[in-house]
Amino acid sequence: MKISYQWLNEWVDLSGFKTPAEVGDLLTARGLEVEGVHNLAEGLDKVIAVLIIDKQKHPEADRLSLCKVNTGQGEYLDIVCGAQNMNKGDIVALAQIGALLPNGLKIEKSKIRGAVSMGMLCSETELGFSNTSDGIIILPEKTPLGWKLADILGLEDTIFEIKLTANRGDCLSHRGLAREIAAAIGKPLKNPKVSTLNWQGSPIKLELNAGEDAPQFFGCYMEGVKVSPSPHWLKSRLESIGQRSINNIVDVSNLLMFEYGFPVHIYDADKIEGGVIKVRRSERGEKLPLLDGGEIETTGEELLIVDGKKPIGLAGVMGGGNSEVSESTTRIFLECAEFNPTLVRRAAFRFSRRSEASLRFEKGIDPAGLREAIARLSDYVAKVAQGEAMGSVSAELPSRKQLHVKTISVSAGYINDFLGTHLEEAKMITILEQLDCKVSPAAGATNTGQVKILSVNPPSFRLDLNIPQDLAEEVARTIGYDAIPTSIPVLTGMPKSKQGNLAAHRLNVIDEMKDTFARSGLNEVLTYAFQSESWIQKFGFTSTVKILNPLSEDQGFMVPSLLPGMMKAYQENERHHFGSEPLAVRLFEVRPSFEFKGEGAIAAKSETETGVTETWKVSFLISGPRFDQALKSERGEVDFYDLKALAEELFDSLGTKGIRMRAADASLLGSLSHLYHPGQSIQVAAGKEAIGFFGRVHPKLEAELKLRQAIYWGEFLIDPVISLTPQKEGVFKAWSSFPTMERDYALLVEDSVPAENLIQSAIKYGKPIAKVVKIFDTYKGAHIPEGKISIGVRVIFSDEVKSLEEKQVDQCSELIVKKWQDEFGAQLR
Amino acid sequence: MSEIQNQIREKGQAALEQIETAKNLPDLDQIRVSVLGKKGSLSEALKTLGQVPAEERPKLGALANEWKSKIEAALEIKKTALEANQIEADLIKTKIDVTIPSRKVHVGSLHPITTTVRKISETLGRIGFDVTVGPEIETDFLNFEAVNIPKDHPARDMQDTFFVGPGVVLRSQTSPVQMRAMRAEKWPIRILCPGAVYRCDSDATHSPMFHQIEGLWVDKKVSMSDLKGVLGFFAKELFGTDTKIRLRPSYFPFVEPGAEVDVSCMLCAGKNHKCQVCKGTGWLEILGAGMVHPRLFELAGYKSDEVSGFAFGMGIERIAMLLHGIPDLRLMFHGDQRFLKQF
Repeated sequence: MKISYQWLNEWVDLSGFKTPAEVGDLLTARGLEVEGVHNLAEGLDKVIAVLIIDKQKHPEADRLSLCKVNTGQGEYLDIVCGAQNMNKGDIVALAQIGALLPNGLKIEKSKIRGAVSMGMLCSETELGFSNTSDGIIILPEKTPLGWKLADILGLEDTIFEIKLTANRGDCLSHRGLAREIAAAIGKPLKNPKVSTLNWQGSPIKLELNAGEDAPQFFGCYMEGVKVSPSPHWLKSRLESIGQRSINNIVDVSNLLMFEYGFPVHIYDADKIEGGVIKVRRSERGEKLPLLDGGEIETTGEELLIVDGKKPIGLAGVMGGGNSEVSESTTRIFLECAEFNPTLVRRAAFRFSRRSEASLRFEKGIDPAGLREAIARLSDYVAKVAQGEAMGSVSAELPSRKQLHVKTISVSAGYINDFLGTHLEEAKMITILEQLDCKVSPAAGATNTGQVKILSVNPPSFRLDLNIPQDLAEEVARTIGYDAIPTSIPVLTGMPKSKQGNLAAHRLNVIDEMKDTFARSGLNEVLTYAFQSESWIQKFGFTSTVKILNPLSEDQGFMVPSLLPGMMKAYQENERHHFGSEPLAVRLFEVRPSFEFKGEGAIAAKSETETGVTETWKVSFLISGPRFDQALKSERGEVDFYDLKALAEELFDSLGTKGIRMRAADASLLGSLSHLYHPGQSIQVAAGKEAIGFFGRVHPKLEAELKLRQAIYWGEFLIDPVISLTPQKEGVFKAWSSFPTMERDYALLVEDSVPAENLIQSAIKYGKPIAKVVKIFDTYKGAHIPEGKISIGVRVIFSDEVKSLEEKQVDQCSELIVKKWQDEFGAQLR
Repeated sequence: MSEIQNQIREKGQAALEQIETAKNLPDLDQIRVSVLGKKGSLSEALKTLGQVPAEERPKLGALANEWKSKIEAALEIKKTALEANQIEADLIKTKIDVTIPSRKVHVGSLHPITTTVRKISETLGRIGFDVTVGPEIETDFLNFEAVNIPKDHPARDMQDTFFVGPGVVLRSQTSPVQMRAMRAEKWPIRILCPGAVYRCDSDATHSPMFHQIEGLWVDKKVSMSDLKGVLGFFAKELFGTDTKIRLRPSYFPFVEPGAEVDVSCMLCAGKNHKCQVCKGTGWLEILGAGMVHPRLFELAGYKSDEVSGFAFGMGIERIAMLLHGIPDLRLMFHGDQRFLKQF
């Protein structure tokens, strides 16, 4: 919102401030944030009025003109100009050489298509007056030549750009802000003299038919109005705050809104039929042509202004095109009314017509100020359009005739406790009274003894003051937040609840997962939780959570898996990777994924239930050389077993119990068989629950995505892992202090026999002394029959309490071998 | 006898000379065998001892042992010398170019959002805050109404929210976690709620998904000066001991009074009018804060006259960008390892 310094100064004496910027600082300090302070004359000091004494076509360019101008200072300059709207004899604005215009343009002597130009004739855009322009500015006849444009236009104002918070609708006007400043500096508000209207004799009557949704309406009938362009003062006042001047009638209604904060409307009284204006809820399907040329069809929800025969306005949002003031209008009817903020807001949204007016209604107007506002408006009309108020009319519900006065009970002690301050009660009363609150000290008792309770009646325009905390804020922002002391709160309470402990454990495990993967050389990535539907489907997933208002289709669906995002991240790295240097990618992510498993469509089930399931997952991806840097012969390429190591390290590091892994073929992969290589994948289970897979990306998918190299990836559910990860600290385990013994075996088995089974069998039958079983070699090829594989197995035996004897180990070894033979058809080579 | 004596001396002398000139360990070993071995020269000489009279034998025996020791000592000295030479020689053979770049394993990294959340929660953890998290898809009730933003409230304009169904939104702030926490447990409450939030906004300074962390402290007689104290501590710990904070009155529906919180520019401390970080103002807006609105206590089932509290919230990306000098928010979500590996 733009606010004029000069205009504010008419409402409150600003002479105590050294600069407009100081006023800005005061407003910011009081919570009315000033985002910018802009001097209107800035950049215009070298722009002067000149007379065009000659205009020729540029010999080299049809669209350019060669002008000779008289600066009024004995100088005649040649200017090249691209605009077409000026003629010989016009007085125009010349930016002289050396000018630095508000739009950043620096004016220098130049040659344009061979013709010298000693400056530039300016348009409104170039001078920062407007975003659009229809050519260069033509100044009025008799404008003194050589004068600075800023002086001619009276541009000595400073404009504040204010970012108002949603609660301070009362400050959406010059008067409102002036009131704040007046309270802050302890000066009175300079209220203008406003005529008293005659509340009789209006030929148009009012009816309120919408209950409390339209509780009051004031009208004023005026005759003898002359619609014409606005006088200079009005034009420049509106232009200074970024509003375009239309005509004197439209302009005064805007003027009143920016001055008083009340949106008002002016009808052509002759177009109002039936001698009546009513407010009521619309019916479905009523049609209303609007001022902006559009037409709306009502839904039955919005408030309508109607006359005896037709709708003539969308209440609070926009007037009707069928009752609009035109150039020939002489009789008008002024409207100043109050409408339900919610209905106005919804209607403005529904018909995409949010405006300065609807904004003010949405935030709430002062319910006690309408009578004065309409009188002020009629004064303005009389001043600029020669109208005469013939009679006024009002309609008020009882709730407005006898306005309810809010009372807030609060004690100085409460405010001091709440803010941590030590202010005198008298000081607080002064602060509140300066803000137009009525404060009446009243004795009251609380359970802590006799405490002086203050009864505070906030002014009608402060819709935001309702509870003691609101008053505390008024006190705080008046003394300044800097004046509030600093303290560290006292720690009270007890240790965490059981539930709190579990939640903390969960977060700890998640942190540890991240640390483990980072230690293993993976880089944590964060990908968008939404992706396009087709991208999600490419990986065999289906999103069940659709964003109804996505920014783009690419971000239309919440992900059921982190892998689609993970692949995007991989591709991002491939995309910017050039040359023959190998590409090493190491990524992981920990985040929730989203699924809706309910019936029908997603809808809130209760205050706190959405029906959407959020499942935390961890995903990880490796690809490329094993070493970050090494000689070509040494760097290697990661393969499945590097991936497997990552998964195992993760669970080892967490101390998770009951993790099981088994080879995942296409049938086990199921709907994910598109994702993983069926011969290089593992399914992971935590306890009895399958929690995910890891493996090589399916070669088909690799080809489809045109990946440059093999990728190994995986994804697990996190919460089943957390519940199998002990919360207790790890307990020390002693190792055997006696020497170990080893036996190595070369086994010939069918190549379909999983090595893991040989290991488990050896552990099982070698109990309790077979402690470690390792696969140290595998071999296929020469001397090995087709379909068989040679596997080198080493078993390490040890005992905690004594030295092992050869005989004991031999017996154990024999049993192990026998079981290998019996169960897996293994032969010793 | 003197013949034998002479023989021992000669052979001994010869052996010492051979040892002296031995070139390498195998040669030396051969010498050892040829002198001291069963059929070695010294041994052969001793074999003749049997032919000398018994009374001379001890003398000769002593002589022979003397020479044996001499030779053994010489052998040992030579062996040590030759071994040392061998190591020297091997050193030269096994010399490598140590300036060839190393064989480096991949060093992993945590995302700056993670490290920043940890930094913030460790700092505030020291004065009593615990971390808690909540769902990213929330009810309209918890996202808005429970934080005092009823339907059609103008404050809804402040946030453009993604919807996934009637009354179901991608949370536009982490505040729903506060209400969940208060409904789950009785006060005192001291929590930090970090997490992803979503708003329909995307440009160089806005991402449709970003992260926030909110703090909530509810107890008896918590005051606004406590809020200032906690935020001041936080700012100094995070940005350096010289950091100052400034509170400006502002409005958020869930607090009363509300404040925007600025920290002094850690780059220029307000001394550089052309500072890129603070745009010459000397201050950076990083936080919103205030005293918890009593309406929230009522919705949580607390008695609003028994407790008071403060809450604050900030964008984690903004803090991370300030701490690390990251120029563009979007870098956070692209997964580019050139970015990720820096943290």
